Amino acid sequence: MRSGYFKETIAEQIALTDSWAVRAWVIALVLALIVAPFYLNPFYLSLLTTIAITVVGALGLNVLTGWTGLISLGHVGFMLLGAYAYAIPVALHGYDPLVGLLLAGLVPALASLLVGVPSLRLTGLYLAITTLAFSFIINHLILSFDGFTRGARGIFVNRPTILGVSFQSDAAFALLCLGFAAATLLATLNLRRSRIGRAFVAIRDNDTAARVMGVNLHAYKLFAFVTSSFIIGISGALYGIFLSFVSVDGFPFVLSIQALAILIVGGLGTALGAVLGSVFIVLLPEVVNLGFGVLGGEAARAISTGAHELKSMLYGLVIILFLRFQPHGLVGLWRDLKRGWVNWPLRY
Amino acid sequence: MGKARILAAAFAALCLAAPASAADQGVTDTEILLGEVEPLSGPPGLLGIAHNIGVKLALAEANANGGINGRKLRLIAEDDGYVSSRTIQSLRKLISVDRVFALTSLSGSGQAVASISLVEQTGIPTIVSIGPVEPLYNPPRENVFVVGQSYEEGMRKLALYLAEKHPDARWGVVTQDDDYGVALREGLEKAKAEKNFNVVFESIYARGQKDFSSEIRRARDANVDVFIAGGIISENVAMVKEMETLGMKPAVGIFWPGRVSAVLNLIGPASDGLYAVDYVEPLGSEAGKAFVELAKKYLSEDEVKHINRYTMTGYAGARVLLSAIERCGDDLTWKCVNGQLAQTKDLKTGVMAPITFEQGSRFSNQPLHIMKADYANKTFVLVDD
Repeated sequence: MRSGYFKETIAEQIALTDSWAVRAWVIALVLALIVAPFYLNPFYLSLLTTIAITVVGALGLNVLTGWTGLISLGHVGFMLLGAYAYAIPVALHGYDPLVGLLLAGLVPALASLLVGVPSLRLTGLYLAITTLAFSFIINHLILSFDGFTRGARGIFVNRPTILGVSFQSDAAFALLCLGFAAATLLATLNLRRSRIGRAFVAIRDNDTAARVMGVNLHAYKLFAFVTSSFIIGISGALYGIFLSFVSVDGFPFVLSIQALAILIVGGLGTALGAVLGSVFIVLLPEVVNLGFGVLGGEAARAISTGAHELKSMLYGLVIILFLRFQPHGLVGLWRDLKRGWVNWPLRY
Repeated sequence: MGKARILAAAFAALCLAAPASAADQGVTDTEILLGEVEPLSGPPGLLGIAHNIGVKLALAEANANGGINGRKLRLIAEDDGYVSSRTIQSLRKLISVDRVFALTSLSGSGQAVASISLVEQTGIPTIVSIGPVEPLYNPPRENVFVVGQSYEEGMRKLALYLAEKHPDARWGVVTQDDDYGVALREGLEKAKAEKNFNVVFESIYARGQKDFSSEIRRARDANVDVFIAGGIISENVAMVKEMETLGMKPAVGIFWPGRVSAVLNLIGPASDGLYAVDYVEPLGSEAGKAFVELAKKYLSEDEVKHINRYTMTGYAGARVLLSAIERCGDDLTWKCVNGQLAQTKDLKTGVMAPITFEQGSRFSNQPLHIMKADYANKTFVLVDD
């Protein structure tokens, strides 16, 4: 007689979910996201698009930082490479957008080998600084080879038509970005529960122990770099298309910091954390604006030239307070809520 | 029969309740709503806040005179922090959520270029008066009007003036590695083709660089007599301070984004005699003083403290828009305002030369002035008139 809830096979153990309720909610969410672009106004649609693009990039960084434990500040460099790898062939030379999107992944992936190989013996801050330097080098190269990249002038990028389907409208482009976000989420979740994903986590938790267990550190670290950069490059291309203009200025270093903030606020090492963190960080300025608006125009006028500085401070303060009181991020909060829901009125 | 009468009365009431004219979004019988995006926080806030104050001043002045055709003006300003994606989001919010009637700023040049296609698609009347760069007016767009002068032409004019003042001089040039730097270098090349001066030292630095000791030492070793400091604010301050440290005294030319009194305060006495080029009046001139007096009348003390050249460009740009709105009368539609903006001719704002958009052009092509820094009075003085 069974007296509990057992998982008896590896397949059950690594299944994404075994709950029909979760599946039903996911289906409902997917349907809502498919329908939403046709009902949202352009502003909320642009926020949804930004969230989708940010989710793709954050999931890419999560492979490297969240799962493999390799801290990277080169996020924006890979995004920039992806954006240019798309813009140069498509916008300047008339190649098919599908070719552009493929190159947007491949070029940063190949470039990641350049930074990955020297970084194999580096961890922590040393690796962070190396990737940061890589990001600056990419900036300089793009600006220096202006015959090829148009340098500081930037490149105008039109919305694509892929396989005869036009993504010219805001709703269509939002759906494209949501599609990429969903595909990236599924791909990374599947990678995580594979042998490769387990090797990544082993390296993160203790690379010496991982090596003893037969994990090839060099190969897996490089694979993490390549996979992460491929995904981040795609997000860079989508971001460039969203901006409709690709230039070094459009990809400030703050995007690298923001990407790390997303992982930390969301919950490091989980795909759900990357998604929740993206939603939180993209919407936070709007929520702060909304809160500020509640004070009314008079309050803003009273501190007319300092009102927006105050908003920026509030934005930072919310993140600090969040990390102080919810160190496991939004995923931790979600788990607490679920546990509370199941165990209430008991605490445990 | 009774029902028919009631229906007829209801229909008549609805007709009476309808607005007198089929105005576009952002317009009611009592109000016209305008919007703008600019950096209002962080270091770029120096220009964004000043610009915002200029637009506010133009609106306050118009409102004090009863508004435009009986409608008061209201402004919503969005802070983009100088980040292009936020510029685009803010513009979408202003256009589709706040439903503003017209735009008075698209933020800096990079942000404006990134958002130009969005603005063009909507057709909303738009004034650009912070970063007047060529991609915004060439090719001309039906609804985008650029008030100012191009960076290339500004640099050309400054270089020609310095070449005339300092014949046979050895030139040193330090510029930024972005679109702004590209424009300055192109302007310099044009001037060089005309005057054939001798550039003995040239360097391009990465934006955000703080230390220029290497560049300035190399300029000193090259014995430069004329030096073009192609930074914005902190970069030019660092360059001139380094020259002061090394005892160098070349004729230094700076460009208008850095022509703010904060630069003179930061550099100190070494800033005296810096050459600058601009299309707006210096604050120390009669026109500048009159402008500050006008600002004191309508703005808070805190806002008056933040006035600089961008306040003037914001004010002038807003005045151009308000004039076009006024000429449309009750026919307040985007189509009418865009049409009236295109016909702007010799509009006097008091802060720059009269503004005109030539036939088919969307660029006001403002005449330029050369100025010299007067550290004692913390201002710039015209030297080419």
